[in-house]
Amino acid sequence: MLVYALVAGLLFGLYFSLVGIGLNLVFGVMRIVNLAHGDFLMLGAFIAVGVSALAALDPLFAVPLAFVVFVLVGLVLYRLLVPRLQGSVNPEMLSIILFFGLSQVIEALTTIAFGTSERSIDSSELGAILAPLRTALFGGDADGPVELFGQSFPASWAISATVSVIAIGLVYVYLYRTRLGTLTRAVMSRRDEAFATGINVDRVSAAAFGIGLGLAAVAGVFAPFMFGSVTPAFGEDATVTSFAVVVLGSLGNPLGTALGGVVYGISYMLVQTYLSSWADLLPYVLLILILLLRPSGLLGRRVRVA
Amino acid sequence: MPSAIRHLLFIVVPLLVVFAILPGVYENHLMLFNFVVFLILAQGVNVIYGFTGYLPFGYVGFFGSGAYGFAMMVMHAHASAPVAVIAAGLAGMLIGLLLTPLLRLSGAYFAIANLASSLAVLHFVANPALEDITRGPYGVSLTATFNPEAAYWAALVVLALTLGVVVYLKNSRFGLALQAVREDPVSAGMAGVNVVRMRVAAWLASALIAGLAGGVYAWYVSVFFPDNVFSGTFSIFAIVFALFGGVATIIGPIVGVLILYGVYNLIGFTTPQYFQLIYGLLIMGLVLFLPAGLVSLVTRRGRHVP
Amino acid sequence: MSPEPTPILRAEGLVKRFGGFYALGGLTFHVAPGEILGLVGPNGSGKTTAINVISGLYAPDGGSVTFEGRAIGGLSSHRLVHLGINRTFQVPKPFLSLTVRQNIEVALAYGRSAAAPPSMESLLEEYRLADVADRPAQDLNNVQQKTLDLARALATGPRLLLLDELAAGLNPTELDWMAGRIKSLARSGMAIIVVEHLMGFIEQITDRVIVMNAGKEIFEGTLAVAVKVPEVIEVFLGGEHAA
Repeated sequence: MLVYALVAGLLFGLYFSLVGIGLNLVFGVMRIVNLAHGDFLMLGAFIAVGVSALAALDPLFAVPLAFVVFVLVGLVLYRLLVPRLQGSVNPEMLSIILFFGLSQVIEALTTIAFGTSERSIDSSELGAILAPLRTALFGGDADGPVELFGQSFPASWAISATVSVIAIGLVYVYLYRTRLGTLTRAVMSRRDEAFATGINVDRVSAAAFGIGLGLAAVAGVFAPFMFGSVTPAFGEDATVTSFAVVVLGSLGNPLGTALGGVVYGISYMLVQTYLSSWADLLPYVLLILILLLRPSGLLGRRVRVA
Repeated sequence: MPSAIRHLLFIVVPLLVVFAILPGVYENHLMLFNFVVFLILAQGVNVIYGFTGYLPFGYVGFFGSGAYGFAMMVMHAHASAPVAVIAAGLAGMLIGLLLTPLLRLSGAYFAIANLASSLAVLHFVANPALEDITRGPYGVSLTATFNPEAAYWAALVVLALTLGVVVYLKNSRFGLALQAVREDPVSAGMAGVNVVRMRVAAWLASALIAGLAGGVYAWYVSVFFPDNVFSGTFSIFAIVFALFGGVATIIGPIVGVLILYGVYNLIGFTTPQYFQLIYGLLIMGLVLFLPAGLVSLVTRRGRHVP
Repeated sequence: MSPEPTPILRAEGLVKRFGGFYALGGLTFHVAPGEILGLVGPNGSGKTTAINVISGLYAPDGGSVTFEGRAIGGLSSHRLVHLGINRTFQVPKPFLSLTVRQNIEVALAYGRSAAAPPSMESLLEEYRLADVADRPAQDLNNVQQKTLDLARALATGPRLLLLDELAAGLNPTELDWMAGRIKSLARSGMAIIVVEHLMGFIEQITDRVIVMNAGKEIFEGTLAVAVKVPEVIEVFLGGEHAA
């Protein structure tokens, strides 16, 4: 049972890293708290449902679609909201309220368009396109569970975790191997000085905002498999979970989120296994404890104490 | 005439008189009661956010604790309703006291930690393992104290106390010192202000206010579930109402509640998702175009607003 | 030469670390009532850190600070203010949304000075803030915000006043005026420590200077002597100093 909890925790944890990383990118670069983060996940999930139900395609195809659509959405929203927000007296605080408003708008519009019923996708559809590859590599049943460390897990968990690892790897490549990414890191570490040194902070921020939303939507594609089903109201819980993950890894350090996600996933599965009635409390208690005891997160160095 | 007396005579007394008369001429008592509850909560948010700058995103934690404080006094100690309301206020304060370490956090970190703590209290109270004490997720039914009319009057008393606190803050050196702490804690220290003590005092006062509000709410409705009294809607409504009118004033939160909760009652019940949409857009517009609230329309012309 | 009065503040071997970096590496100095002491040195030599430690923004990591014979290292700012220490900030930090009058009122109400503090009206008058008394501090220009910082500090009736680059940004007329104000405060018995880059201003007002480098004092005496000491010249080479 312990091995199962640990491996399942790792799979979920890798996925949770993807869930949180976009939120952290946006906060790190802009000091903006995107309280609508979970709602973009929810929209990503609806794209997956659409791809599966309307086009009868493998939901994996929703990944590039969701990413591109929400990078564009992010660029537009950035133009509409952020410059005005950052002209205000206290952008960080007001961003919480602004993006709460946005999350209400998204939830309302989704409810008006699709109703409140739960949406799910048959988990065997995910990765169906890869089935020949899988049988060739690992043998066995093409839509059965996967075997890891002698335990069997739903194939969709493994696929979600794999895509998450790839996505986080790409974020790493972006931040450390591209010019825009290098500038992004500069802005994250010293926003004020970045302005002074002539970095086009606006362009860097717009890109980070777009990518942040794109990553949220990609994470959302897998939400129906990891959480069973989604409704328009799913966004709120997803936001809080994302915060727990991000704060664990340290706010403002996107790659710390990968660690935060894994720690979160494993503790979640352990509590779920051994203390299931208290599992709901975990994200919140973890969040508060980390904020109070190690305010800079597991990997952080930024001071956040009043 | 000192301005404190003027504020009491021309703002507080008329408001209380109107809400004392209204039940005699208007039939929807529940709606009137909710107006009073939101007036209390918006002013409670005003005390902590307006005067100290801490955004209490989990303000409902105190409210819910108050409601459950009331319920437990009635269920287990068979207390009379007024005694239980006082216990409710103390329950809110107790949670406030437990959460004082959060005041070490600043900006978004505080808001997120406070949100997480309110959800932690919710999941704690709603835990089936505590069924004997809190009735867990199954909710409470308090037939022994059922008396909406008395509860309404109690709510007016709590509102009067709350407005008294705000009038005091608006007219005293204590309130001025709190605002100094909000503007710049380092400088406030250099003005001789004990920053930590000030923040804790305002925090506990606002927790007491929400606890009392939760108590009278529990008394009024008499049957409720954890999800009702810990609903994030209370926090958000109270914050948005206060902000909409303008914080750090007496009149701002009152105007905010009367207008926005009025709008809510006109369109909210029949089509919640359309209300959510309008409400979300309103919040976004507020942050982008009127971040200091309606009163700033007057103050930006150089006039003072009480 | 009159005998030197007993120091009001003594710092001995003061240490302040940030991570592995020693901002103060054993700073020792003193200042007496009525004296104006200049703290000079290149950027990063620890002048502002010294002021921040003495005014309670940071707790020292080693050494001792005594004020009127009492150890004050690690006390919080408001306690130090009540004991009689106050300061201004390099970048002025008024309460932006409060009016000038309210800014001073907070300090008058919570400063708890032992001596009778100056009155609101006299502060507004003497520091040229009367015309803007009822305007929010955010409407003030930088120089006015600096004088407001000073007026707020004085409202708490300090016996030791720390001035962090008060002169930067003032025009020559304002500099003369400010120098006069600071000297008259010292004549009233106040001990004053001035951190400053403007050597002319330092020369005009200080009785004595401490030259700092890398978190330590390397010279103590008058500025006129300091500029002839090879070690001091070396520290300032390439800096903004022109003796």
